[in-house]
Amino acid sequence: MKGRLILLPLASVVLLALGGQWLLGEAKLGGAREFSAEVVSVGQPAKPTKPAARAEVPPHRPAGYQPKVATGLIDHHGNAVGVACMTCHATKTPNLEAGREGRVPAEFHQKLVYAHGEQSCLSCHNSEDYDALRLADGRKLAFADAQKLCQQCHGPQTRDYLHGSHGGMRGYWDKTKGERTRLTCTDCHDAHAPAYPAWTPVFAPKDGGALQQKAREEKSNHSTTTHDQ
Amino acid sequence: MINNTPPAGPASAPEAEPAGGMTRRTAIKALGATLGAAAFAQAIAPLTEWAENMSLDEYLQKHYRELSPFDLGVVMARMEQITKEETGVDVHIGDYRPQPGVKFGYALNLSVCVGCRRCAKACHIENNHDRPSGNSYIRVLEMEKGSLDLAKGRVNYDKPVPHPDKFYMPVQCQQCDKPPCVSVCPVEATWKESDGIVVVDYNWCIGCRYCEAACPYHARRFNWTKPQVPAAEINPDQGYLSNRLRPQGVMEKCTFCLHRSRQGKLPACLEACPTGARVFGNLLDPESEIRWVLKNKRVFVLKEEVGTQPSFFYFFDE
Amino acid sequence: MNNARVAEQFTSYCRFLWKAVCDATDGSWWFYAWMILLTALSLTGLHAWAVQVRDGLIVTGMSDHVSWGLYIANFTFMVGLAAGGVMMVIPAYLYHDHEMHDLTIVGELLAVAAIVMSICFVVVDMGRPERFWHMFPIVGRFNWPVSMLTWDVLVLNGYLGLNLHICGYLLYKRFRCERPNSKWYVPFVYLSIFWAISIHTVTAFLYSGLGGRPLWNTALLAPRFLVTAFIAGPAFIIVLLFILRRFGGVPIAARPVQVLVNIVRVTLLINLLMVASELFTELYAGGAHTASSHYLFFGLHGANALVPWIWSAVAMGIIATVMFLRPGVAGRPVWLTLACVLAFAGIWIEKGMGLIVPAFIPSTLHEIVEYFPSLVEWQIMAGIWAWGLLILTVMLKIALPILRQPHPEENFPTRVCATSPAGNTGGHSHL
Repeated sequence: MKGRLILLPLASVVLLALGGQWLLGEAKLGGAREFSAEVVSVGQPAKPTKPAARAEVPPHRPAGYQPKVATGLIDHHGNAVGVACMTCHATKTPNLEAGREGRVPAEFHQKLVYAHGEQSCLSCHNSEDYDALRLADGRKLAFADAQKLCQQCHGPQTRDYLHGSHGGMRGYWDKTKGERTRLTCTDCHDAHAPAYPAWTPVFAPKDGGALQQKAREEKSNHSTTTHDQ
Repeated sequence: MINNTPPAGPASAPEAEPAGGMTRRTAIKALGATLGAAAFAQAIAPLTEWAENMSLDEYLQKHYRELSPFDLGVVMARMEQITKEETGVDVHIGDYRPQPGVKFGYALNLSVCVGCRRCAKACHIENNHDRPSGNSYIRVLEMEKGSLDLAKGRVNYDKPVPHPDKFYMPVQCQQCDKPPCVSVCPVEATWKESDGIVVVDYNWCIGCRYCEAACPYHARRFNWTKPQVPAAEINPDQGYLSNRLRPQGVMEKCTFCLHRSRQGKLPACLEACPTGARVFGNLLDPESEIRWVLKNKRVFVLKEEVGTQPSFFYFFDE
Repeated sequence: MNNARVAEQFTSYCRFLWKAVCDATDGSWWFYAWMILLTALSLTGLHAWAVQVRDGLIVTGMSDHVSWGLYIANFTFMVGLAAGGVMMVIPAYLYHDHEMHDLTIVGELLAVAAIVMSICFVVVDMGRPERFWHMFPIVGRFNWPVSMLTWDVLVLNGYLGLNLHICGYLLYKRFRCERPNSKWYVPFVYLSIFWAISIHTVTAFLYSGLGGRPLWNTALLAPRFLVTAFIAGPAFIIVLLFILRRFGGVPIAARPVQVLVNIVRVTLLINLLMVASELFTELYAGGAHTASSHYLFFGLHGANALVPWIWSAVAMGIIATVMFLRPGVAGRPVWLTLACVLAFAGIWIEKGMGLIVPAFIPSTLHEIVEYFPSLVEWQIMAGIWAWGLLILTVMLKIALPILRQPHPEENFPTRVCATSPAGNTGGHSHL
């Protein structure tokens, strides 16, 4: 009889423990476990992709890219006529102070807006070959690889860019399935005045709720932006 | 013997039964009943219009998770045909299943987002949203620097962005790991799939909007009317659970463009972002960019205290 | 039961239903006028709903910001009214109050009409009402027990069935001039007491379980719902009893009215306390979670559409409380009716527009988008109210014979039924 008496509380304790563990298990897993679908695999499972951080990001600009000065003329093929940099610069003396402390070129490049810190033009442009650029240690750099210049100084942005959290991209997140193209630095930042330009926002909301709020904001002419409660 | 007529009102004496068996009262009652029936038919006339547009197959269709691949194929073919009849456009509706070993995560860089709303617009186009209302799954808030208080956010900004005192926060479905919208649905028309995306079966939803009340992020949208998209603007690459043309009276939401992402492509909002503020990938892949962001950036989620465990993360660079 | 008895019961029941139809369509000119008015309103509402089904819910004033409005507000209120209808049952059955006993059927019939109205309000709120079968288990998918809406579906339909059975059984037995067998209705009556509490608790849990809606996410919601139900229900029944006395020739003793007044006195006071408690809790510390309360009571950033409504409701509640607390109010039908109307209207505003709508304002992204019901919504609401009153009128008309006869159970079958059980013909009932 005594044995049976012990069995009951023992069974209760065991059941409580199991029940509690099940409950806790549910709590840990949260909602995820309940909602798994029957998975029918289409195509191959995602293989681990190449380390994106260390992958060579294909430059948006093709190799051999060369900027030219626009003349506004059109040749008989219908292409715009551009002048290569060396055409003029072959006969010019390099001015190492150009660009520093606001010194702008006296002639040509008049529409250039320059706002890139304290550097001179020749910090990046190559005085020995104006159809190329130069790295900080003087090595020649092709225009197609221009973003290496940016990467020299802008480390955090470079790190973010290489890890996909800075700079636009198109294509596939899963690089085993397809390619991805990236914008380069100069696609968004003008190298001479790299501060990101202002955009006009598009696609203003026109749902009833947004319009109602807009009407109310316009009505209250103190359109302060701090609405403390 | 107490008459059935109430004593307080003007009493009406019971009519003597004439030989024909029909009293004046009965005749009036019959006339009234006829008029009533006619009025009833007139009242419900709009329902017959509405019923004409419904097919029996569609009405009896089973839940997505109970359809065999063959039946689902039949359903999708029927939908493609209906779209062709109604709009003249040849669309392709696919059933894109979750891939094993994939759980999607999305991160948004609040230092880089400029609030241009191109993501919202791309979503509008990609997902075949209703044009007149400008519907989109993404809502961009202009926030005050120095505060994360959503009450200080505005959606109606139109000056050039970014404003120096503001930062911009796009909000869309967070694909929560503990989604309140899934718990509350009475018919299981919405559920979380194994790759993390919370989906809706548009042909099963009854339109009660309980999920819309439950969502803490204003992520769910209801089709208050039949969505109108000009034929030329219809995106023909459609998914059954994502951007196919939705019917009236059902819920819908952001699906991380599953018709694209389950094929390895980037969602439309990310591709449209000119600054690259959006990061998307597989949370289960330790080498993915989203994992790098989670590890190296100080990320946070919205309304963490509500306990929904979102899969959408925000971060600043500095 | 052998086959002959089954057949006899079946034909008798058919005769009972026919008699009910005749009772429902026979009466004085006032009765006809009332029924025609209700029918016209119902048909207007039905047409408006048909338009809504065809064109979509865009014809309402709801939006993705305020996605529940007039319909769910009325649904919430109606569930409370149905729960409150059972307030007469408690003193009658639990405390063996015989004078209440005769009138409990009024409360139960009110419960039936109110539940039908609440179901109608849910149906008109659905975007795809024809897909109702998706909720059935086996053929559909019923997300029970996780979704509170499924609990609500179960308890509301169960409550409807319960009350239909009780009332139907008593009326049928009366029709057959037989004494009701207590085992066929008394256990159900006791069950209905607990079930009434459950329907409104479950409905409250629908709202209070949502973590993303701070106005609802309070433990006080279920108690508030029950308290307001036990104001609105008895208030309506008091007025109903007066109407039955005036127009139906039903003798109403003073005691049942007094019992109901006593109930409402207490619940009105508790409700005022709860409102004060909500106000204090919301406003003392402030913070983002109080924005909805702020919008409701004081307006928010220029949006203040609901402020006059809620303060009217508070004023009505206070005035009604003062009136109810006056000694002897039960003996003053005019004052009491006014007090009941004020209490009823105040609760309708507070629980309907004052609870459902502000929870969506500001939205979950803190956008302030106000809600203004459209004409279609008002028409459908009027239509469902008219339909509910129509059902209630019909049922009360059928039940008049029971109500007119004091202590019917003790007087079965020796008094009133001169004819044999199966002998009652259609047309006017002979009492």
